Amino acid sequence: MTTAAPSPTADLVQLGREPIAADALIRHVRQAHDGAVVTFDGCVRNHSHGRATLYLEYESYESMAIEKMKEIAASLHTLFAIDGVAIAHRLGRLEIGETSVFIAVSAPHRKAAFDACRHAIDTLKKTVPIWKKEFFEDGAVWADGELPPLPAATPAAKPAS
Amino acid sequence: MQARVLFFGKLKDIAGSAERCVEFRSGETISELFERCASQKPELAPFRSSVVASRNQEFAPWTAVLESGDEVAFLPPVSGG
Repeated sequence: MTTAAPSPTADLVQLGREPIAADALIRHVRQAHDGAVVTFDGCVRNHSHGRATLYLEYESYESMAIEKMKEIAASLHTLFAIDGVAIAHRLGRLEIGETSVFIAVSAPHRKAAFDACRHAIDTLKKTVPIWKKEFFEDGAVWADGELPPLPAATPAAKPAS
Repeated sequence: MQARVLFFGKLKDIAGSAERCVEFRSGETISELFERCASQKPELAPFRSSVVASRNQEFAPWTAVLESGDEVAFLPPVSGG
């Protein structure tokens, strides 16, 4: 008896205000032919630059952010020998300890899953248009972030849709 | 010609609104569109070097030439995660 080639698991990408259902994301990527699921759970820390954080608010350029998250998921399949990808990011007000971003990557072997998960969160923090505002006892600030790299100038630009 | 211009994060606070429609002339670039916004709201001008732009939801170079109906966003450093 031969084993059929595993069918690829569709990527799952979410951006919303509801709490992230991490278990569902893990179940989504975890298939019988996988030997590893690596997850990243990004959570709201109670301090920033030595100040006590009360809570955070996330906002996003939603239509662009969801596309950028899909691009990250797709790129993982070309860069790493992985199976399934699930990426979720939350928006709105988040309390200390809540999950703001959750990534799950499955693979037949653990190294690819570790490498892909790390690459996904590092890329998300550089290229997905989401912004975090930190609220303190004495005010609020937009968090320092990373400036996304720009494409080289080309005369053929995408037309308005 | 008109573009829909969006501001996010710190830039939205400075612009005073999340979006506005801006008139431009044929052949103008995203850089010139930013200058038009900054002429209406001078507080935006210092941020030219610390934001990136997108055109129709793709990162775009400052030299990209606009078309009528484009959606252009000015994006401060991103801080998701």
